[in-house]
Amino acid sequence: MESNNSLELKLKKVTQELSSHKIELHQTRGYLQCILQNSNDMIFATDVDGMIVSFSKGGEKVLGYTWEEVAGYYIETFSEDPKSFEEFMADSQEKGSAVRLEFPFKHKEGHTVYCDVSMINLTNTKGQRVGTVGVSRDITRWKKLQDELIRIDRLAEIGRVAAGIAHEINNPLAVINEVSGWVEEIVQDAKSLSPEDREELEKATQQIAEQTRRCRTITHQLLGFVREAAPEKTEFDVNGLLNKAIDFVSPELKYAPIQVVRDFSTEPLSMKSDPAMMEQVFVNLLTNAIHAINEKGSDQGKIEIKTVRTGSEVEIHITDNGTGIAEENQDKVLNLFFTTKPPGKGTGLGLSICQNILKTLNGGLSFRSEPGVGTTFTVRVPLS
Amino acid sequence: MNDDPSIRVLLIDDEETLLEYMSKRLLKKGFTVKCAFSGQEALEAAQKEHFDVAVVDLKMPGMDGVETQKRLHKIQPFLQCIVLTGHGSIDSALESGQQDAFHYLLKPVEYDTLVTSIHEAYEKKVQLVNEKFDEDVEEIHRSGLGAKGIKKAIDKLREKYGIQ
Repeated sequence: MESNNSLELKLKKVTQELSSHKIELHQTRGYLQCILQNSNDMIFATDVDGMIVSFSKGGEKVLGYTWEEVAGYYIETFSEDPKSFEEFMADSQEKGSAVRLEFPFKHKEGHTVYCDVSMINLTNTKGQRVGTVGVSRDITRWKKLQDELIRIDRLAEIGRVAAGIAHEINNPLAVINEVSGWVEEIVQDAKSLSPEDREELEKATQQIAEQTRRCRTITHQLLGFVREAAPEKTEFDVNGLLNKAIDFVSPELKYAPIQVVRDFSTEPLSMKSDPAMMEQVFVNLLTNAIHAINEKGSDQGKIEIKTVRTGSEVEIHITDNGTGIAEENQDKVLNLFFTTKPPGKGTGLGLSICQNILKTLNGGLSFRSEPGVGTTFTVRVPLS
Repeated sequence: MNDDPSIRVLLIDDEETLLEYMSKRLLKKGFTVKCAFSGQEALEAAQKEHFDVAVVDLKMPGMDGVETQKRLHKIQPFLQCIVLTGHGSIDSALESGQQDAFHYLLKPVEYDTLVTSIHEAYEKKVQLVNEKFDEDVEEIHRSGLGAKGIKKAIDKLREKYGIQ
């Protein structure tokens, strides 16, 4: 039989061990808490059935819900594709862990959030599964950027191919142009033509010339689109350049009831970039604004031009109160050849060219539009 | 616009149909026109007679437009070249600029633009010739050559400036 002494000693030892474990546990818990509070990733834990039992601060940012709002819900409720999520969960349970890339979740505000997700089984001391822990990294912005890059790349590629074709077409087009010009001169000199025939022939040759001109506008714009000129950077004032662009489109403004409001920043916005390229962008956007207003037929047209300096960039907002862009067209307007104008009126190149130019200048183009109310295009360009 | 003397234009392009109709129209306007369907043909023509303005395509089989201009300038240093091309490449535009292309026009060109361009190129040529010719004549006078020498030098000048 052991002495009281030795028992006491044992007890003391156990107590000591216990308290050191307690400290360790406390530290580990603090460590975990720290991770859950500070990570930008969505870290969640579920019970055996997939019901949420823990939800990190990062998760609140990623999905827009607070911990209280998600507590007790099944995690797949927040997935855009619950069925795939269940398969994913089952996969993870079976293998112990699983990973899915670009998995779609639903944000509280309705939009989709893409996450790279890894799930792993949570087990007890006996190795039995008691739940799942998931870590999800929000890659929505990255994915958007990537999609944008792919789109711009594809745009440039289409542009190059189209420009090659445009070049080939320019030669026969030039022949048509010369032949029709020659016919026109023959008709002018012909003495024995009846007045009716003369009129018919003159009209016909004018048509040929007009249609050739139409083709030429397209091929020349296309060649301009892929013209890979290095930007010629000089110092200039953005507000001054905008005034120049407004002057350029003023013939179109003269006969339309459109008021141009300049809301320029009070400080001078001196920047170093390619003024010719920037002017082309502004003229394009202003022309679009004028067309949108004319199409609406309102006699209270207004174009507002606002310039703001934001850190190392300049933002130029061009707002019109025209027709706006129809919902279904909003993701297409920047596409090459996309136009809502009737045949012969638009080439569908203007905005693509703007976007291409701004890409060259390390800037960007975005817009907001409400059908029937108007559109704002925003140009961003670095100051130097 | 029947200017006297008639402006001598050399058209260089491998598109024969284009040159056929372009030359007809220019002839009707009173220009003196010669067609060459390749760079080589253009050089041969330039060796035989003088031109004021050349309208050159850039992309041609064999000798391209840039090379053609370069060699034409060696034969007739005052000849003004107008590039007329279906190609919108700025690189070639810059390069032909180095070869002193007077204008760079994209096909298909508005006829009036072409005609104006030819007239302007001609003005430029006349201006250049006048400046240089006076200089050269003065040079001969200063050289102190005898009558025979002067006659020979003048013949050379005729050759250089295409004076018949």
